[in-house]
Amino acid sequence: MYGRRASQLLRELACSETGQLTAFNSDAFDQVIKECNEHNLQLQSLIRKIEDENLDIQTTRNEDHFGAVIHHLSLIRNKRCLMAYMYNRAETIQSLRWKVGPVLPQEIQEKLNYSEEECFKNHSAAIQSYMSELDLDLTVDMVPPKDPYIRVRVLDDIGEVCLGDHSISLTKHSLHFLRRTDAEPFISQGMMEEFLE
Amino acid sequence: MPGYYDIDDIIMEEEPISVVFQVGAHGVGLLDPGSETNNVENGAKVDLPFWLAHELYLRQAVSISVPACFSQKTRKEIQADAACVDLRIRCPYFYELGCKIVPLVSDKSIGSFLHYAFTGRYKEILSKSHSASVVTVPKFSTRLTKEESQLFEAARSSMLAFKKWRLGGSRLEKASILGRKRKTTIPACPSTP
Repeated sequence: MYGRRASQLLRELACSETGQLTAFNSDAFDQVIKECNEHNLQLQSLIRKIEDENLDIQTTRNEDHFGAVIHHLSLIRNKRCLMAYMYNRAETIQSLRWKVGPVLPQEIQEKLNYSEEECFKNHSAAIQSYMSELDLDLTVDMVPPKDPYIRVRVLDDIGEVCLGDHSISLTKHSLHFLRRTDAEPFISQGMMEEFLE
Repeated sequence: MPGYYDIDDIIMEEEPISVVFQVGAHGVGLLDPGSETNNVENGAKVDLPFWLAHELYLRQAVSISVPACFSQKTRKEIQADAACVDLRIRCPYFYELGCKIVPLVSDKSIGSFLHYAFTGRYKEILSKSHSASVVTVPKFSTRLTKEESQLFEAARSSMLAFKKWRLGGSRLEKASILGRKRKTTIPACPSTP
């Protein structure tokens, strides 16, 4: 059936949890584009046939016209599916900049296709330039803070890190009392957790 | 009005609708599995996805019959006990499809039927979503349509958020996208030399 493969692509997207990414399905994506080309060829040959019979393309409502309409509608449908696939993935990818940071871990990087990597880089650069213009880090305090300092437990060997005016050694299982804005990126990357008594 | 990029709307429009062609169409034999030529004949009865059926209906090329999920049989079952009917198996987008099909068919009672079905089922969804346990998915949720399960999840997650807020605790969390990857990388580790 026309448009079936394109909708399967979206079903795949709908099945994954919100905020999660699956690997870019370039096989199915390319096949849908191939289908679109096929529709385009059929559409043009039907239109040529109408023209060859010296009929007015605007007013003719014969079998060829309706065949062409169906191919045209299928093309538009496939386009909508592909656009929605890219758009919804791009939304998730842009949100990663706020949640994970400017550098994506390898396992996420692998799931992106080339244009999505570019999109992430450009989006990241745009945010970066805006933040440096404002001289303010917008990615911290995503949850409204109650206290400027928090107690954290380190979950990974991070090593020597320079925070503000002093450097600090973050070894595994150690406890620290840090500025919340310093700790937040480490927490969202899963290298620290908030320590509660 | 659903957006152009709305995934649920796109998938809903894939629902098959039974139509009868009022005209012939050349070069689209794929639509009619019974056709031996590459054409669809006038009067052919075929199942088309909603998006195609709808557009062809607007061009007066097909006539649409009411989908099976709005049949008298389903209506009788809904009247007997709305909450017990498995609507998902009949049509996962029961309400959305119903709303879109009403202007296209002569049967105008679908609107009130949808309203009746929803009000009958809503109470159960709401009360169960508030009392449902956190981990297990309740058995009845397999009977819900897509719209109903979104409602159910919304009520359940707001209940969870409320409980979490009342208990206090850590509000800073690891990015959810990373949490999953970790689980998949750990079993992979022993196999690497």
